[in-house]
Amino acid sequence: MRLTPSVLELDLPEVEKRITRFIKEYVEKSGADGIVLGLSGGVDSNTIAALSSLSISGERVMGLLLPEQETYNQKDISDAMTVADKFGLKTQVCDITPVLKSVYKTIPIFDHADKLCKGNIKARTRMIYLYYYANKLNRIVCGSSDKSETMMGYFTKWGDVAADISPIMDLYKTQVRKLAEHLGVPKELATKPSTPALWPEQFAETELGIKYETLDLILYGLERFMNQEEISLQLKVDEAIVKKVKNKWLAAEHKRRVLLAPKLEFRTVGTDFRLPRSTW
Amino acid sequence: MKERITLALAQISSKREDKKDNLKKIEELTIKAKEQSADLVIFPELCLTGYVVRDQLYELAETIPGPSTKQIEAIARKTGMHIIFGMPELSEKTKATMFNTSVFVGPKGIIGKYHKMYLPTHSVFEEKRYFRPGYQTASFTTALGGIGLCICYDLFFPEVTRLTRLEGAKLIVCISASPSVRRSYFEILTAARALENTAYLAYVNLVGVEDGLQFWGGSRLVSPTGDIVAKAKYDEEDFVLCEVDFNEMRPAEAFIPTLRDLRPELFDELKKRSERL
Repeated sequence: MRLTPSVLELDLPEVEKRITRFIKEYVEKSGADGIVLGLSGGVDSNTIAALSSLSISGERVMGLLLPEQETYNQKDISDAMTVADKFGLKTQVCDITPVLKSVYKTIPIFDHADKLCKGNIKARTRMIYLYYYANKLNRIVCGSSDKSETMMGYFTKWGDVAADISPIMDLYKTQVRKLAEHLGVPKELATKPSTPALWPEQFAETELGIKYETLDLILYGLERFMNQEEISLQLKVDEAIVKKVKNKWLAAEHKRRVLLAPKLEFRTVGTDFRLPRSTW
Repeated sequence: MKERITLALAQISSKREDKKDNLKKIEELTIKAKEQSADLVIFPELCLTGYVVRDQLYELAETIPGPSTKQIEAIARKTGMHIIFGMPELSEKTKATMFNTSVFVGPKGIIGKYHKMYLPTHSVFEEKRYFRPGYQTASFTTALGGIGLCICYDLFFPEVTRLTRLEGAKLIVCISASPSVRRSYFEILTAARALENTAYLAYVNLVGVEDGLQFWGGSRLVSPTGDIVAKAKYDEEDFVLCEVDFNEMRPAEAFIPTLRDLRPELFDELKKRSERL
């Protein structure tokens, strides 16, 4: 197999059809009245906003903007609103700053300098808002994690990844960007640099130390059972970088699975209780 | 034996774990097929229960004959129809040994059944975890002609349809639960299996989404020369009538004499080699 950018090309109309069918069926069969999603202004949530609206109409999609003081960015908010307007979503803005401050204040060991631990609180607080709306409005939470960050473990456990469905989790970031454009998300928003917004000036590619164009090809090679030497050779990327990506991918499996329990009894939750997710 | 028979390809989605609802759908579509003068109506693999039911299979599987096949027999008797459908079968001799089974019912009762021989257990599939594989191909001489059965992944193994054909099947019915990412494989394989055996091949696939797995439909009747006689829609429920004309067999076999040209000695070699893989 040749690891060239063409391996990531998609039949975009077919992908759109499959994902919208998936969303529509899930919402209908679960008996939910619609969807709640977090709107950050980034490409993933913009894509999910578009797909959700195309699936069940914007009337039934609530986009929550959940800014906070430290990472507040007016451009992200206006980008989110541009997409919400274009796809007819309803939106609400909840400033989560006071909640965050209260949480920080009530943790005796809270360390302001530890931006990762602090940032994770932000992601988990946003999850609480999303699920409140979902519970209250009888909706499901639609997640916007993509395959690149999910494989890399580049997300907050029980935070931004928490959702009922994750329609783009099987698409790499560079594929999501193309899908976004195909769906009608303005090019400028489809290609803008990604940030988890856990702290100011945090950019995914800087933090991961690699461009998504390269990362996605490495991950694609790993997905297809290629060994790291071969990936390195083909992409002309230092093998140490490929190894680092591979190790991150493997080390993050605990974040992608739930409920690890010691095997004590006949059938165990999370291991050999193998049940369908739903009966419909 | 009739020279021409009409098939109804009943491409349905199943309601998981709801045999009552699925039996109702089978009954409605069998009546519809009868009204449209079909002789045989075909439903997808495991359509009685849905495909992604995992451990619930232990509760859902039934013996054959059993409550569900009795209902299907009653439907066949009432309508005078032949029906092929898929269900998880519980062995009569054990309490938790199951088969992925294609059941063939006629107006006079059960004609026969087939246990899936090749159980996919890779990627998203976990069939060997639950099912015992079958050990015999299935070809039946019926009022409608020689009809053979196979299921989904069996199509990847040409020996299954070859044996079925050599046992006398002129129409091979493959029921399936194939997810979208594998569509291109099945589009090739259905044509290849029909052509290489100069037999009709009716393929009926599930549709719907079960635990994120999307089944692509695209059910079809392929002629003995590999042409698509009729095709159902992709991704949505559909009901397609099509005709099998057994008169087409002679010109097909004469034009593509694969059966005349079979080389049995190669099968001995194949057996030896595959044992040493």
